[in-house]
Amino acid sequence: MSRILLEVEGLSTHFMTRNGVLKAVNDVSFTLHEGEIIGLVGESGSGKSVTGFSILGLVDPPGKIVAGSVRLQGRELIGMSEPDLRAVRGREISMVFQDPSTTLNPVLSIGTQMRLALEAHETLSRQAADARCIDVLNKVGIPDAARRLGYFPHQFSGGMRQRVAIAIALLNHPKLIICDEPTTALDVSIQAQILLQMKTLAQDFGTAMIWISHDLSTVSSVASQLLVMYAGRIIESGPVRDLLRVPDHPYTRGLLNSLPDHASPGQPLVQIPGQMPSLIGLGAECAFVSRCNQSDALCQTSPALRSKGARRVRCHHPVAGDWQ
Amino acid sequence: MLGFVIQRVCQAVVVMLIISVLVFVGVYAVGNPIDVLISPDATQLIREQTIKAYGLDQPLWKQYFDFLVRLVQGDFGRSFVYNMPVIDLIFSRLPATIELTLTAVLGATVLGVPLGIYAGYRPDTVLSKMIMGLSIFGFSVPTFWIGLVLIFTFAVTLGWFPAGNRGPTASLFGIEWSFLTGEGLAYLFLPALNLSLFKFAMMVRLARAGTRETMLTDTVKFARASGESELTILYRHVLRLISIPIVTVFGLELGSTLAFAVVTETIFSWPGVGKLIIDSISTLDRPVMVAYLMLVALLFIMINLTVDIVYVFLDPRLRHRRS
Repeated sequence: MSRILLEVEGLSTHFMTRNGVLKAVNDVSFTLHEGEIIGLVGESGSGKSVTGFSILGLVDPPGKIVAGSVRLQGRELIGMSEPDLRAVRGREISMVFQDPSTTLNPVLSIGTQMRLALEAHETLSRQAADARCIDVLNKVGIPDAARRLGYFPHQFSGGMRQRVAIAIALLNHPKLIICDEPTTALDVSIQAQILLQMKTLAQDFGTAMIWISHDLSTVSSVASQLLVMYAGRIIESGPVRDLLRVPDHPYTRGLLNSLPDHASPGQPLVQIPGQMPSLIGLGAECAFVSRCNQSDALCQTSPALRSKGARRVRCHHPVAGDWQ
Repeated sequence: MLGFVIQRVCQAVVVMLIISVLVFVGVYAVGNPIDVLISPDATQLIREQTIKAYGLDQPLWKQYFDFLVRLVQGDFGRSFVYNMPVIDLIFSRLPATIELTLTAVLGATVLGVPLGIYAGYRPDTVLSKMIMGLSIFGFSVPTFWIGLVLIFTFAVTLGWFPAGNRGPTASLFGIEWSFLTGEGLAYLFLPALNLSLFKFAMMVRLARAGTRETMLTDTVKFARASGESELTILYRHVLRLISIPIVTVFGLELGSTLAFAVVTETIFSWPGVGKLIIDSISTLDRPVMVAYLMLVALLFIMINLTVDIVYVFLDPRLRHRRS
């Protein structure tokens, strides 16, 4: 096994809203090795994006990291000074967002935007900077990159724009890229291309990735480890194949069953009944209890994380036995 | 780009033609200028001679045509009151107004935009609240009152600045400017401050609103995630993104201030065109009114054209749509 890159321990990010404390990320822990791709899955509002932003120290007020530790190669990022954090962002950990048409600045040429990202970390001559940009653009599959440096975002298609955003994220050869649903806003055919390309790039550069998505099938095609998030907590984790073959948490099972591939033609898709509870004022009970068909009196207390080999589950009644 | 400019110049010619009709109808065709031009006890002969001399016996379309021909030749006639060519009269006053207006609008923008960006970036600090308080003050207090207070405080009580008039000037490109002499600057200061307060308030509000909106976008988040400093983000990303509405308002304000700096010019006895037009209206000096209106229309058209060209440089999406 390669060396540990990132250790997240007991990370909790809360939003101090007018109606109370919203626990967007609640005691999240996981470990990421160098070059590893880990998938972070959950439905909207489960806290997966906030987890990504928390790692980078980019939680906007009223959000606040209230507890936990994020160690990058042993260095603690939580509580680090803003200038030190800025040196980490983009250079050691970078991020790709969902919609490239909103992340790229519409009034700056992509060359300018790439140079700004480079100059944030080092002083380069114009020629050297351009050479770096062209090199990375070629690697992400943008042909004729030298000419396209002068192009503006609106002159690219959606897929090409996302490639530019990925190029910016790769520019300083970071050790980790947090991908926040980078293919969700794209056409299905382009999704597959970008997915494959990012997987190859991660291998070539030795970059680790946290792939955030609500789409189990996308994640399972890139990631080796899977984290399933529900109501701000990680409720199940483990190696992708193992976890998808035998999901232990009723929620993961529900997610898998609701995939269209599992439905018979002409039959309605399977759903998980109900909705995720409000993250404000979560009670002591298991957050999934109202939607679960296995629940009993035990579920009125929040389940602890149980482990079995590389697998973890937060449930009183995991499907398979042998849990400690 | 060139095609766009040519198209806009053609539009400008059409607009100027329409304005000339309106001005002609409004100033020449309404009322009887003869009653103003000659004394009531003049003989019928003198009356007819005057009517003939001013072409008032011609049909209306012919009169308009003659008026247009004179306009194109740059002949706006002579001022009844000052008895000198109107064009000379206006150009002797215009530099004073241009100087005052540019100082006020540029000053308001150069100060207002950074303060507005700061107020949008850190909305909860004491300084931001003070900036916003000042901008509410600038919006709500009438110009004439502020002008009087400024004169009372800084000219009468403290004696730091002169109370009015233009003061000494120096010549540049054959035009007299106040800002070239130290004392001239002192004369310029109070009226420019008076005129700029409202524009400052507007620029602060625009920049603040734009910044608050932009800071929440993914563009800023992505720039932060790339490790760019907050200063780079504000200067390179936010300023560029909010510049289009600012340039729009800058152009509009510049035009309307050039045309209607009347209140400030009157309070500070600033010898600009605003004061000239008020005087010419009260003395029914028609050629001056006509020339002034045409000039204001032309200025607006030129400013709007410049603003449109600046847009094309600021927003690449427009650049490619047009070419």
